[in-house]
Amino acid sequence: MAITRIGNIASTIPDDSIQNVKMSNIVQSKNIIINGDMSIAQRATSVTGNTAGGYTTVDRWNTILTTAGTYTISQSTDVPSGSGFANSMKFDCTTADASLAAGDNMRLQSKFEGQNLQYIKKGTSNAESLTASFWVKSVKTGIYILELEDKDNSRTISKSYTISSANTWEKKTVTFPGDTTGAFGNDNARSLDVMFWLAAGSNFTSGTLSTTWTSTTSANRAVGQVNLSDSTSNEWYITGVQLETGTTASEFEFLPVDVNLARCQRYFERTTAVGAGSNYVNFAAGVVQSSGNASYCFLWKTKKRANPTMSSTAASTFLNENGGSYPAGSSISFGQINTTSAQCDLASSSGLTQGNGALMKSNGTYNAYIDASSEL
Amino acid sequence: MINTVEKMYNEYGTSSGTYKVTNQDGTILWVPNDEANTDYQAIQEWAEIEGNNIIDNGA
Repeated sequence: MAITRIGNIASTIPDDSIQNVKMSNIVQSKNIIINGDMSIAQRATSVTGNTAGGYTTVDRWNTILTTAGTYTISQSTDVPSGSGFANSMKFDCTTADASLAAGDNMRLQSKFEGQNLQYIKKGTSNAESLTASFWVKSVKTGIYILELEDKDNSRTISKSYTISSANTWEKKTVTFPGDTTGAFGNDNARSLDVMFWLAAGSNFTSGTLSTTWTSTTSANRAVGQVNLSDSTSNEWYITGVQLETGTTASEFEFLPVDVNLARCQRYFERTTAVGAGSNYVNFAAGVVQSSGNASYCFLWKTKKRANPTMSSTAASTFLNENGGSYPAGSSISFGQINTTSAQCDLASSSGLTQGNGALMKSNGTYNAYIDASSEL
Repeated sequence: MINTVEKMYNEYGTSSGTYKVTNQDGTILWVPNDEANTDYQAIQEWAEIEGNNIIDNGA
């Protein structure tokens, strides 16, 4: 007997039988959301004093924060009991903005490529409904808005949900009808945004909530949204985010950590010494090109969505080990960047011998890192 | 927010297809010439603003 496990389904298959297996649900995750269990946080687990949003902690989740208070954003271990989740994403208001100006707003957003969404058949008569499910907790009760935004055709749909009990995990389900207008591009560009509104000024609330797919009208996007930023007592947690075709929510699709990480790394990959047993960690192997410079090739663990933007900690956080010398880096640069690799050039003012093999290492610090970002 | 953008060249004296972006907060990004890259898109938008010029010191 062979035991096969697919997702949460285990079955016993006789060895001598010939099986016809429907593969569609194996190769295609049912969950459009990536890292919906908030388990991957390559950049950091907590960022304080955030006033401008951005990709800060949990992978694939971008915060839009436009003059709507100050937040600590973190990966939390506060989760709904017995749900199987280990992490949530937490927003803790540390400076309030109780009187939002018209354009002020705060949103938690995840963005998706059109080529991964062709199966929902948007823009056709067979367009699929989408159902979102998630766990949420906040001391700030009331109405919140969840919005889908079609970036290819400038169309949106918004639905409200209510947090009923303060500081209590609640599971929410929201269904969006299919949109027969406006197809998603079949490419690697940004086609769909999923947006959890957390605060919205009158520019986004002064109309009538757009509960059917329509051309985007700002005033109709977040009508009724409470202001999470109105008190420093406010916190908001979310986990278990799933968006799937159909009108009912199924159980959350837990993925192995390596699969989840790889899905995140299509958009962002950090090579780091953090978590290593030594603070002189190998980053890459290369060659000394001249008395002042060594070159290294970084191969991505996951092919990137697009040629990624490179960034790093300071050159001095790395060293060029070569021929028994360990000179610190004096400048660092990147080139020949593509979806599978990039070249890193690390200069040192002395201690390099042309032609030597070289190892690029962190220079006595756990904090060194090199980032490749191809976020949408 | 972008402060300066510099076109980069490789050791062979040809364009490396990369731009060095220095943001106003001092962070440095190495951005490939790829229209699907959102930072490259931001460079194009920045360069269209009157007074913003991409530094090109040649090889």
